[in-house]
Amino acid sequence: MTEGARILVIDDENEIRRMLQVALSAHGYTLGETTSGKEGLNQVLIFHPDLVILDLGLPDIDGLEVLRRLREWSQVPVIVLTVRDREGDKVSALDGGADDYITKPFSMGELLARIRVAMRHVAKSEDEPVLVFGDLTLDFAHRVVLLKQQEIKLTPTEYEILKYLALHAGRVVTHSQLLRAVWGPNYQEHTQYLRVYVGQLRRKIEADQARPRFITTEPGVGYRFISAE
Amino acid sequence: MLETSAHRGRPKQSASFWLITAPYAWTVISIAVITAAGKAFQPVLDLVTIALVYLLPVLVTAVRWGLWPSLAASFLGILSFDFFFVPPVLSITVSDVRYLFSFAIFLVVALVTGTLAARLRDQARAASQRERRMAALYSLSHKMAAETSLQGVLRTVVQTVAQSLKGPVAIFMPVTPDDCLELVAHSGEGEFPVSEKEKAIITWAFELKREAQSRKAGGTDRLFVPVSDAERTVAVLAVPSAPEGTLSKEQREDLDALKSLTALAITRMQLSQEAEQARWLAESEKLHSALLNAVSHDLRTPLSSITGAVTGLLADEERYDEQAKRHLLVTIKAGALRMNRFITNLLDTARLDSGILKPNREWCDVNDIIGVTLNEIRELLPEDRVVVSVPDDLPPVFVDLGLVEQVLMNLLDNAIKYSPADATISIRASRVEDFVQVGVEDAGASIPGADREHIFDKFYRLRSSKHVSGSGLGLSICKGIIEAHGGRIWVEPMEGVGNRFVFTLPLAVGLAKEIPDEET
Repeated sequence: MTEGARILVIDDENEIRRMLQVALSAHGYTLGETTSGKEGLNQVLIFHPDLVILDLGLPDIDGLEVLRRLREWSQVPVIVLTVRDREGDKVSALDGGADDYITKPFSMGELLARIRVAMRHVAKSEDEPVLVFGDLTLDFAHRVVLLKQQEIKLTPTEYEILKYLALHAGRVVTHSQLLRAVWGPNYQEHTQYLRVYVGQLRRKIEADQARPRFITTEPGVGYRFISAE
Repeated sequence: MLETSAHRGRPKQSASFWLITAPYAWTVISIAVITAAGKAFQPVLDLVTIALVYLLPVLVTAVRWGLWPSLAASFLGILSFDFFFVPPVLSITVSDVRYLFSFAIFLVVALVTGTLAARLRDQARAASQRERRMAALYSLSHKMAAETSLQGVLRTVVQTVAQSLKGPVAIFMPVTPDDCLELVAHSGEGEFPVSEKEKAIITWAFELKREAQSRKAGGTDRLFVPVSDAERTVAVLAVPSAPEGTLSKEQREDLDALKSLTALAITRMQLSQEAEQARWLAESEKLHSALLNAVSHDLRTPLSSITGAVTGLLADEERYDEQAKRHLLVTIKAGALRMNRFITNLLDTARLDSGILKPNREWCDVNDIIGVTLNEIRELLPEDRVVVSVPDDLPPVFVDLGLVEQVLMNLLDNAIKYSPADATISIRASRVEDFVQVGVEDAGASIPGADREHIFDKFYRLRSSKHVSGSGLGLSICKGIIEAHGGRIWVEPMEGVGNRFVFTLPLAVGLAKEIPDEET
């Protein structure tokens, strides 16, 4: 249920706030705005947003710090706005509890898609025994993956990776999140494992390696399972 | 070095006593020996021969010790001759007046030969000393000329002066023009303590170009000597000085020679630094204006198309049908994306120039790099215009995905700009020895051979491509990024039409082994 959902924008740039106000209102969201991190934290209490759009480059408190303080008492979904070349910030924000990120300049279509996915929060779970993404079907009950009705043989690791990404469909998953989920907490630095297994997985489920339809790469950050909507 | 002259500068007390008495002792002994020998051989020698023998000690002492010992030898010789040989023997008195006449001649001969010999000796000594000093100065100037840094020159200077004057030496200079003087080099290890009072003296010596003495500051006396060339004072030397504040003649001469050499070396260094700075300024000036041109052109072009489209829509929206509106909006989007790409390139250029750009490497599939780039550039390059060929068994590369993506993006952007619309662009990856090689093939006009080498230079643009917008930054960034990864980038003509831009990335060896294979 996203109609009428409340979104709080924390960004010090007027143009960006005005643009978001117009575009998101047109999609039925109710907007709240604030220009600083301190004010933003207060507004989360007052405005009761269903989602927060947080610019990482704020004039008063660092956006990452705002996120850290917010996460001490609130689980409201957060999408951070960043600029290119700050992969480190993106990863810190995501590992620090942000639900997703978007890089400026961004397209409205992309932002709306991220908002919808983040609002669902942890919508999909293993309680749903079967997930269908176009040609691709994941049957958790039987541990079976079907592509165009044909069963695909996956190794246990490949299966776990695909399952974790699919459960977070539409949302970015950082390298360390994926490594922790599949290999355990001691493997968070071993991104080369991911490269190998994701490569193998893609060869099995993607028709064109250079234009993956399901598992896309987020440079320097992680992977995103595209839910064909 | 200049040590030789310094030895006699400040002889120790006992040594000086010995130096003064030795010639006279030698004179007395030699006269005594001659007298004894003369007595023994008197029966066979006449008196004139014996008198001549008495001239020998005069000559020897003159050559070895100078005038005064030789004078002593003359008088002692005459006395002995008179006393022991001239009748009446064993008495000063002379029986024959003619002897007095011979004594006078003997004395004159002794004095003249003594004086001449002593002068000769002094001249020879001065000449050899001069020669030694010249050799030392020559080797020092050689050393200084070989020094490429001011700091090196100053270190050589203070060490040489310290050796010459046997004590700690420091040099003070204004670090920047119009700045107060600071200690720039000193001969010892560790600290060179300078009191506030001494600082004031140093400034005084520097400004008035006069030597100044400090007393008992920090336990030692110091002499502050301004170092100047023809026009200005460039530094101040702090040297140890005797309590009475004077230096020996040799020390003074050494110091003066070293001073002018130092002034010369410092001036030479400063001039070459200034020349270097001027060259650098001119160079950056040139880059600056090229950059400004690029910025104004590359930002204005898309900005004009955006402004034109937007003002058109705002002024009379109703005149455009849906298709025209869509077309204008697409124009705006394309302009905005172009501006974004340009700004990205500008930032990368700045970071490459300042050396901040360090690859943040991770293991990457070449397929992945190509996929991310194609996704980023999908607005400009529809899927059916690109052919991608990557062998399945291509090993991974250890690179910064974002940066290599930037390289591929610039190459694809160029390929699109310089190829006819709808021409197919190919991306081919392969393994060549220990490198992964990626080629982007366009269908544009072949780049002339002369341009191929310079095309990766900053702000270099093909003369034939004035109609295509571009800053000449893209390829220089590609080169910078690829070289930062240890690879190479070049362009080669293809058979028929088109160019192939190729870059290589070093292979990450020994990775796949550590990851266990699994059964399905």
